[in-house]
Amino acid sequence: MSTAYPFTAIVGQDDMKRALTIAAVDPGVGGVLVLGERGTGKSTTIRALAALLPKIEVVRGCSYQCDPSAPRPGLCPQCGKPSDTPDTKAVTIPVVDLPLGSTEDRVVGALDIERALVNGEKAFQPGLLAQANRGFLYVDEVNLLEDHIVDALLDVAASGENVVEREGLSVRHPAQFVLVGSGNPEEGELRPQLQDRFGLSIDVRTPGDVPTRVEIIRLREAFDQDRTAFRKKWARKESALRRKIQAARDRLDDVDTPAVLLETAAKICLALGTDGLRGELTLVRSARALASLEGKTAATVDHLRAMAPSVLRHRLRRDPLDESSADIRVERAITELFQESVGDGGN
Amino acid sequence: MVATETPSPWTDAEWAAALISLLGEAVGGVHLRAPPGPVRDYWLERVTQLSEQDPIRKIPANIPEGRLLGGIDLGATLQHGRPIAETGMLGECDGLIVIAAMAERLPRNTVHHLCAALDHGTINVARDGIEAQTPARIALIANDEGTEEEHAHAALVDRLGVALDMTTLGIHDVDDEIFRRRDIERAIDAFASVFMSDEHLTALATLTASLGIDSPRPTLAAAKVARASAALRQSRTVEEEDVARALRLCLLPRAQQIPEMAEPPPEPDTEPEQTDDSETPPTPETPPPDEERLLEAALAQLPAGLLEQLQTRSARLRQSSTGSAGDQHRHQNRGRPTGVFRGDHRRGGRVNILATLRAAAPWQSLRRREQIEHGNQSSPRHLQIRREDIHLTRFQQRRETLTVFVVDASGSAALQRLAEAKGAVELLLADCYVRRDQVALIAFRDEQAELLLPPTRSLVRAKKTLAALPGGGATPMAAALDLTRDMAERAGKQGTTMQYVILTDGAANVARDGTRSREAGTADALAAARMLALSPSSGLVIDTAQRPQPRARELADTLRGTYLALPQADAQTLNRAIRAATP
Repeated sequence: MSTAYPFTAIVGQDDMKRALTIAAVDPGVGGVLVLGERGTGKSTTIRALAALLPKIEVVRGCSYQCDPSAPRPGLCPQCGKPSDTPDTKAVTIPVVDLPLGSTEDRVVGALDIERALVNGEKAFQPGLLAQANRGFLYVDEVNLLEDHIVDALLDVAASGENVVEREGLSVRHPAQFVLVGSGNPEEGELRPQLQDRFGLSIDVRTPGDVPTRVEIIRLREAFDQDRTAFRKKWARKESALRRKIQAARDRLDDVDTPAVLLETAAKICLALGTDGLRGELTLVRSARALASLEGKTAATVDHLRAMAPSVLRHRLRRDPLDESSADIRVERAITELFQESVGDGGN
Repeated sequence: MVATETPSPWTDAEWAAALISLLGEAVGGVHLRAPPGPVRDYWLERVTQLSEQDPIRKIPANIPEGRLLGGIDLGATLQHGRPIAETGMLGECDGLIVIAAMAERLPRNTVHHLCAALDHGTINVARDGIEAQTPARIALIANDEGTEEEHAHAALVDRLGVALDMTTLGIHDVDDEIFRRRDIERAIDAFASVFMSDEHLTALATLTASLGIDSPRPTLAAAKVARASAALRQSRTVEEEDVARALRLCLLPRAQQIPEMAEPPPEPDTEPEQTDDSETPPTPETPPPDEERLLEAALAQLPAGLLEQLQTRSARLRQSSTGSAGDQHRHQNRGRPTGVFRGDHRRGGRVNILATLRAAAPWQSLRRREQIEHGNQSSPRHLQIRREDIHLTRFQQRRETLTVFVVDASGSAALQRLAEAKGAVELLLADCYVRRDQVALIAFRDEQAELLLPPTRSLVRAKKTLAALPGGGATPMAAALDLTRDMAERAGKQGTTMQYVILTDGAANVARDGTRSREAGTADALAAARMLALSPSSGLVIDTAQRPQPRARELADTLRGTYLALPQADAQTLNRAIRAATP
């Protein structure tokens, strides 16, 4: 692949960068949806993330990047077998592109065509979902994805495992990935079921002011002129952020979640009338990830507040026409809530 | 050799040919608006000469996805007994200039793949057992033959750095050559070291902003074009003329608004009472000095009449910024197959024989062996097709519904009622969303009825358009009904079911010929309504008058549609009514 543009060299778009970083810290937040017009750097930013991701331990030779320290039942058929401690190696967290026009067999996996032809044997050839296990799966123009591929994705995203029944072959393997989608909302709506799958949702806009525009052009020109040199110039910032993400991942389990936080999250969701529990859970998780990223030992209401718009804007009670004011609604609900709770000694 | 530049209409075309040959994929490509004919052929010939690329390959608008991206080469695979990938057209054209013929007709998926190639210089393929990343650094000449309503998709146009409009050029406009191949070659070497000052860069960014262009891509292309222009002039620094050229070739054609010019900056001392303030008032930020001059110079070089064109074009661009995204649906409506997918034929659907055979082919030897192992000797030479191989053709099975909102924004419909009408439309839009209908919006006031929003599935756009709808003026009802009928007929041809919702108080007062008269207006409106009633569509009239009037009722009866008075029209009633109006 051509050298990617450095994440840290992307001008502005802080919301999008933060959401992606949070997802890198805690994959459990459940995916990022980035919606915006042309030329907002959606795709560039997401692809840039790949270079920042830390390494993970995987079972050597496993097609699914199985986690050697995870309990056996959740692993792929090979790694799930009781055996000695497996051989491991460290690999960079994968970011897998799911291009439009992919056929279903390559997404979910199918019989290995080469081995069928050459040896006449049945073997499973893992698909993109297998490659994305424990990593990121990126769909550009997610609102244009074909329905039957969306169905397959939804199914797998919900269960965390991919089940293939084909040619008398029965394969079941883990497929837990952070789904990242981007698209232009003017091109059509996203299926509601798919939209619900995303933990965080970001609206990106083109920067309007001239100095920012000049800065974008200047950096991009420099990048186009000499990609390697440009990356080298940004290498320090990149590795600083990479270390920060790694550190935040490492200490994530130790970040406290005070009870007041859970309560506040519940109140916010109640006030906004969001459906289901997923909003609350994601809100708390992402607040924790943000706290960890900032090196804090406990998540605070401020973290919750910072994450609330991204977590909730696409979960408001379905009113397809209120899109523009979703942020305002979230903001209003939070402000009201906090005015009330000032006396309660909230954080 | 570089001739002294005489501003002829052909000059820009010649420069565009030189720039694409010089910059290639770095500038994305050329958005070429030109009808077929000798001028276009000659221009393409110039590109061929200057780029020394012969022939320039052409991507047909209807290219199948598999051919564009590549996939498995079935013949070779079976012959050699191992999977052999076939490079798609994008991969084959790596490093080359390609032409997309009839760019306005490209299906959305093709547009996406072209955009991906232009963005990343590679394409990812995951099809038919093949997974590959192929380099595809292409420079695209998108040949946009679209007329008023159709044009190349905005996402694609955004990525094509140079825009060239030759629609008004005739064969007599074709002028002398300015460049030879060796000028290009020399410029390729010089390009990297051309210096562009910060002032010029800022000027470009400011101009982009003042032209209302949001995306940073055109500015980026303009910066490259300015430097390339300097290189072609054999200059080491970007001068004003290069910036002006970039402005003309990259930015002006994309203008979304006419920049305000020649307006003196507001007097900074409008508040003279502040005189003896110890703090000096902040000096207003002076814009880069040459920006306005540049814009003026560039505008002055444009042929007369272009500004008006720009005005109409920018209005048009804003109106249908998603370009021909509807094309695909239209194809689907005509019952064209839109693809194949693996599926169970017992659940209905048409089996696609070719795709099924393709799917079955690689497994034949395996299956034969299996069969022999199982001791089943019966004719092992027969083709073995199993259920998993079955591929179905996907059609657009559901007849699509288009709901057209015809909103009376005239003064008689009273401004306060317009807000309520907008509210009612929003309610109905929500319903359209649930049913995945397409929506369109017609507004009528003053002299004319106007299609504000062509059929779209984007509620965001519908809502934006609706919110921006002004009110006031006369009521040209007949014109609105005629426009609705046009749409109904077009929808009928495309196999779409159309329904319309007219929100009005029924007080027509502009006749078809534009005269203002209540009687003529009403008579024409009823005549138009009778015509509309004959068209393949069904309607609903929502009376927006303060007190329900017989006029709107009469209109609804003439239309053989449903009548509903807005005061009673809460969400549920509206929904029920529109559902009842749907055939």
